[in-house]
Amino acid sequence: MSDLDRELRDRLAVLESHAPGGAEPPSLRRSTRRRSFAASMSAAPVLLLALVATAAGGAVVVSNLAQSAPGIQNPGQPLAGAQMECLTPPQAAAFLAERGYTDVVWQIESGDPVAGKDATTTVQQDVAPDHGFVIPGSIIDGRLHMIVDQQVGVTGVGACYGAPQP
Amino acid sequence: MSVQTGRMAATSAVSKDDPGAFEAAVRPHYDGLTRRLVLVLGNEHDAQDVAQDAYLKAFRSWDRFDGADVRAWLYTIALRLAFNHLRGRRRWLAVLGRIETRPWTNPSDPDLWAALRRLDGRTRSALLLNVIDGYTQAEIARMLGVPEGTVASWISRGRTVLRTELGREP
Repeated sequence: MSDLDRELRDRLAVLESHAPGGAEPPSLRRSTRRRSFAASMSAAPVLLLALVATAAGGAVVVSNLAQSAPGIQNPGQPLAGAQMECLTPPQAAAFLAERGYTDVVWQIESGDPVAGKDATTTVQQDVAPDHGFVIPGSIIDGRLHMIVDQQVGVTGVGACYGAPQP
Repeated sequence: MSVQTGRMAATSAVSKDDPGAFEAAVRPHYDGLTRRLVLVLGNEHDAQDVAQDAYLKAFRSWDRFDGADVRAWLYTIALRLAFNHLRGRRRWLAVLGRIETRPWTNPSDPDLWAALRRLDGRTRSALLLNVIDGYTQAEIARMLGVPEGTVASWISRGRTVLRTELGREP
């Protein structure tokens, strides 16, 4: 063994001897599994309360979303069943204009979602872009918001799910 | 400096018929095992969890122990659990993003610890078993369940990294 090896061995051994230890091994007479179960049971009321609160909070959020901004193509909405998801953005813009929707916010999602949050962008404009998947939106504060998804690898929605990106 | 290595403390033979034999044979190695797992896992709490699991698993497997080197047997169980733990932790980190468990913060030899942390868990384990405990490459290969050549490359790489990081030529 060289001097270097000897020094390395001694330093590693000292490092290990100063590492935290000293804990007692688990008791073999009481079942750890039972203790874990007992601990879970004692935490059950807290977990149940958290579960109920989460469910209730989620329900409120979802119901508010549904009430405040129903999809323009949803049943009972002005353009129910229009299937604008199968149109190109310019075709969707023309379709909407024919029905009186001339003040439209076009929200364009682009970039590569797989590459991370910083690799995608969201831009809003008044004119429909020339390509991308149309995702029918909602009327928010009196203006119709339409989404156009140009992100890498995305698919269409609704009746045109899986179609090539326009 | 005189440091007693784990190999020297290994028990050569134990009785498997005595009901208290398990605790008598294994308990003396528990503290050292926990310290070893801190070096392998880099985290005190994970080390204690894996050490406990290993101790209980060893207890359940006591009837299958061959009676030779109880320390090597216990370390084999613990290190394989530690590797599973590291794999699981990597998966969770990939899912949850950069949520790191709190690492061991006050090593006695920070430079050496920083160099050691550059090695992956298996390389680190093989190196420690060889350098501190004096186990041969063949013994380590059996313990970790990998080919001897793999262990040889791990140890070689580990030594190179440590020497380079510590300012010595490989």
